[in-house]
Amino acid sequence: MSGVSLKPRAPFEARVDFSGITPAVTCPLTLRELEHLPVPHGARSVKLAELFFIESAPEGVLLIEGGDERLDGVGAGMLEGELIVDGPVGAWAGRGMGGGVLRIAGDAGDFLGAELSGGRIELAGKAGAHAGGASSGSRRGMSGGVLKIGGSAGPRAAERQRGGLLLVAGDAGEGLATDMIAGTVSVGGAVGPLAGRGMKRGTIFLREVPALPAGFVDTGAHELIALRLIARRVPELAEVLAGWTLARRIVGDTLLGGQGEVLAPE
Amino acid sequence: MILNGVEIRDTFAEAFPMVGTRLIVTADTPEWALTAGRTTTGFATSVIGCGCEAGIERVLAPEETPDGRPGVSLLIFAMDFKQLKTVVPLRLGQCVLTCPTTACYAGIETGKRVPLAKTIRYFADGHQISKKIGDGKGAGMRFWRLPVMEGEFVCDEDTGSVDGVGGGNFLILARSRAAALKAAEAAVAAMGTVGGVILPFPGGVVRSGSKVGSKYKGLFASTNDAYCPTLRGTRPSALPPEVGSVLEIVIDGVSFEAVSEATRVGITAVCALGAEGGVVAVDAGNYGGNLGPFHFKLREIMKDSAGGAA
Repeated sequence: MSGVSLKPRAPFEARVDFSGITPAVTCPLTLRELEHLPVPHGARSVKLAELFFIESAPEGVLLIEGGDERLDGVGAGMLEGELIVDGPVGAWAGRGMGGGVLRIAGDAGDFLGAELSGGRIELAGKAGAHAGGASSGSRRGMSGGVLKIGGSAGPRAAERQRGGLLLVAGDAGEGLATDMIAGTVSVGGAVGPLAGRGMKRGTIFLREVPALPAGFVDTGAHELIALRLIARRVPELAEVLAGWTLARRIVGDTLLGGQGEVLAPE
Repeated sequence: MILNGVEIRDTFAEAFPMVGTRLIVTADTPEWALTAGRTTTGFATSVIGCGCEAGIERVLAPEETPDGRPGVSLLIFAMDFKQLKTVVPLRLGQCVLTCPTTACYAGIETGKRVPLAKTIRYFADGHQISKKIGDGKGAGMRFWRLPVMEGEFVCDEDTGSVDGVGGGNFLILARSRAAALKAAEAAVAAMGTVGGVILPFPGGVVRSGSKVGSKYKGLFASTNDAYCPTLRGTRPSALPPEVGSVLEIVIDGVSFEAVSEATRVGITAVCALGAEGGVVAVDAGNYGGNLGPFHFKLREIMKDSAGGAA
């Protein structure tokens, strides 16, 4: 089959681990091979056909109709192709993705895009905790690619982020960009307490300057050429930076020797 | 071949392979962009004495530049890639970094990478900021911000390079110095419309064309005595009696085609002035065809302009 469409037969009774089931895996398989593809379901493994109706879809696309909050690891490890979920997903969606496109029409659970290194994730709804962050025990969060969240993000988004671009259209929860190493974050709405604590490098674009941890130092308002460049080179940030002439630059977390920055229009 | 009373001599310009790169320099105003461009491409007329040949390719409108400000496009050529990697960061550091309001971006995406901020970022003494945003993998996606007293200097990490052509040329043989200068100025103005080329000499014009070698040890080049009007009769001369002055246009370009087109446009402008403008002939410099692999045959280049005249 060139493309695959999956429709849940019924709401899942247990959590389903969809890690590794990507367009690159499913698209070359025949219908019969797909039906027998093993999928972890709760404490056991079941055949894909036991959970989904399987049909063909456009070339290179894996489509999951409806989605389910118990569907974990959607797009995890994906390197190419397009994976579309027409509804919510569980935790670990897009974890460790290195390429391709993951589109989710609903909400996502915790660790969305954790350790993302390339490609693009577009979430229409809200994300749980640790979006773009590091998995438990990992030293680094996302290091590349684009993670776009249409709604709000839960606590600790961009934790230990090393690179790439995280865009949150709505609010961001407590501890945004905690221990951030590098990369870029943009939040359109309000930001929870303790944003940027432990930040080493990296940039956070905000609409307004929030209360920041004690280690942040206000360097004043500046006319930054870099913002003009970013607005033209990065389409995702063009709208965010439109109309910015002066940016207030707050540097931190200086208590830890960090040189990260929070930028907000003056 | 005679065009508007001007003889196009049956000869060719002999050119050499060079390695080149393009920088896009922007500034708050067109004047400061030009200042940066002129400074960066200063003292870069000939690889013989300057290490590179450089010039302003063209002026850029704000909508053509990466940061939406006025800019200039610069081309820098060297004899090999190692030399190019040496001269570009030097000129960037001394002439663009220091110039008020400027920023510098990659002008070529492909080819071997020539370091820009990759080298000069250390000027920021640890305060430099690297940015690589988005999922694009093209050249110039990583750039650096260097805090400076004026604000910030923004510069791409590196730029691409291209195998180019250096030393394309033609000579304007005129009745007087004034006529030669007027013809050369007309050629330079017309050639400014051709992309991918620079005219590295002052104002695009050379008054001291050279031959290879010298009677003095250690000199690689010396005055082209065959074209010096004041030596006519004392040395084998290429000048007829009516020629009182000769000026040369030297062309470096990113490709054979670009140099060829610039040659055609330049000679056409010279011939438009014609014999009435005091122009006697158009010639070219070569070394017998044995040194440079690129030969720009004047009559072949101008054949479409001849209109049957010969």
